[in-house]
Amino acid sequence: MFFVALITFTLAHAAPGSPFDLNANRPLSQATIDRINRYYGVDKPIHEQFVLYMGNLLKGDLGLSFTRQRPVVEIIGQGIGTTFQLGLGALVFALAFSIPLGIVSALKQNTIVDYLSMLLATIGTTIPGFVTAIFLIYIFGVSLHLLPFVGWGSWQHMIMPMFVLGLAPGAYLTRITRASMLEAIRQDYVRTARSKGLAERAVIVGHALKNALIPVATIIGPATAGLITGSFIIESLFNVPGMGRLYIISINQRDYPTIMATTLLYAFLIMIANLTVDILYGVLDPRIKVR
Amino acid sequence: MATAATTRQQQRAADMNVIARKQRSLWGDALYRLLRNRASLVGLAVIALASLIAIFAPLIAPYDPLELHGKSGLLEPIWTSFFGSKFTDPAYIFGTDTLGRDILSRLMYSSRVSLIIGLVPVSIVLAIGLTVGMLAGYVGGVVDDFLMRVTDVVYAFPDLLFVIIIVATLRGTALGNAYDGLLVIFVGIAVVNWVGVARLVRGQVLSVKNREFVEAARAIGAGPGRIMRRHIFPNILAPIIVTVAFAIPGAMLTESVLSFLGIGIRPPTPTWGVMINEGFIVFSTTPWPVLLPSMCISIVLLAFTFVGDGLRDALDPRSKM
Repeated sequence: MFFVALITFTLAHAAPGSPFDLNANRPLSQATIDRINRYYGVDKPIHEQFVLYMGNLLKGDLGLSFTRQRPVVEIIGQGIGTTFQLGLGALVFALAFSIPLGIVSALKQNTIVDYLSMLLATIGTTIPGFVTAIFLIYIFGVSLHLLPFVGWGSWQHMIMPMFVLGLAPGAYLTRITRASMLEAIRQDYVRTARSKGLAERAVIVGHALKNALIPVATIIGPATAGLITGSFIIESLFNVPGMGRLYIISINQRDYPTIMATTLLYAFLIMIANLTVDILYGVLDPRIKVR
Repeated sequence: MATAATTRQQQRAADMNVIARKQRSLWGDALYRLLRNRASLVGLAVIALASLIAIFAPLIAPYDPLELHGKSGLLEPIWTSFFGSKFTDPAYIFGTDTLGRDILSRLMYSSRVSLIIGLVPVSIVLAIGLTVGMLAGYVGGVVDDFLMRVTDVVYAFPDLLFVIIIVATLRGTALGNAYDGLLVIFVGIAVVNWVGVARLVRGQVLSVKNREFVEAARAIGAGPGRIMRRHIFPNILAPIIVTVAFAIPGAMLTESVLSFLGIGIRPPTPTWGVMINEGFIVFSTTPWPVLLPSMCISIVLLAFTFVGDGLRDALDPRSKM
């Protein structure tokens, strides 16, 4: 985490140009530039700035945005709710279609159902989100006028971005579910369950599925990371006022405090996701602790 | 007489064929399995076609991809005339973009950028990743610890985020401006992706370096360089090939995402990402300048994925998912 901060900080400050020298027609006087630099604390040497930044960070102060004249915390606070809503929706959607699809294609291995869902999964993981989004916007937004494709607010606005964002992680989860389910139904305990006369449904749900979902749970961490990076593109594309779009705008405007803060927050979220999964893994599978 | 000789020859050929099959090497075997996989074959064919188009783009493209055709902007593809579109011109099969540039020519030239992006950064990634991974795995100790801490740091970053930061911050510099922004994308992709290869290689080296054949090589006096090149490397090649096969479409995807966001290749150089970015303004009235490059990206990425899947199954039949 510290290294992420250090690298981002160095890169951001090594970049030439500042947001204040954009207007070449009206050059600012040296005094004004000095005053602005002092105001934002960018007149000090870089290592001092870094120490100062990290100190403030621990106090929950992320500095002022260069281009919006407001504290970064406030700006991010506005976007994070929307992004969270979008990400959660996408994750729920991904889980809702991938796990049943993975189970069905494992149970009906090498049938047409299996091949079709695997083809879908391959397409879902391969075709980039923004391309899928373009096709969807064209079909549902432009041609059929069924769904709005710009902005955010009503539930109709949320359908397409959530679908697109959830598609790639969902497709990946389908593959994982299928693979681990295939392994689980060949295990001895499943055979035992079946031989003691349990109904097929109870065998699948109670015995095979319970164990097959353990590897699936570990993939949710990386899948969340995928959702997070996917969100910049999808939010920019659908004009969703969330953190991802904010990030892209900040990069284009060279608004370093905002870039720093968003990067750190993203890295932090991904770390939390991975940590949660590690803990969850231990709870779900007691065999891990024995080792 | 003649027929008898032929049958005997055929018989011998058949016998030899049987023997030849028994002697098929690991690589021959893998190639055979790859070519029997229909999806991979289709993928290979698409890649071959795209490469030919990329190489011969200046010869087969009907126009210069940067040439502005005056008033004939935003023409629709010729097939839309069947559905009543009046804005078509047989001279421009796929129509023209907002500035009146021929879309077909731009699509063809775009494939050049994509293939370069698929080849150059992946080669850099492979070179760095192999060197670091082999050293860390074979030498071990302090070298291993140090190299693995470095990869940990890079690994902590979400990958696309890291590429975006690198490309965005270097944009104003000489490096960022070189070759319309191509060079900085190479750097970004290489910096982020070598880590995965290095870790894979290290793990593989660790798993083979204590096997008997390595010990045997050491016993007859082979130096560490020779052991790494001649004995370890061929034995860890299969998973590396599969990783590379998936890294190529990954790199292409990164370029198109960056260009689409407006921080990748600089217009007017045509790439599929740039075309989508430029066409997006008029998307709701004229979708073709966006739809056509989107289709190209999808087809090429799918082709690479099919080949990658086929390679994985061919090289390691156990891992069939």
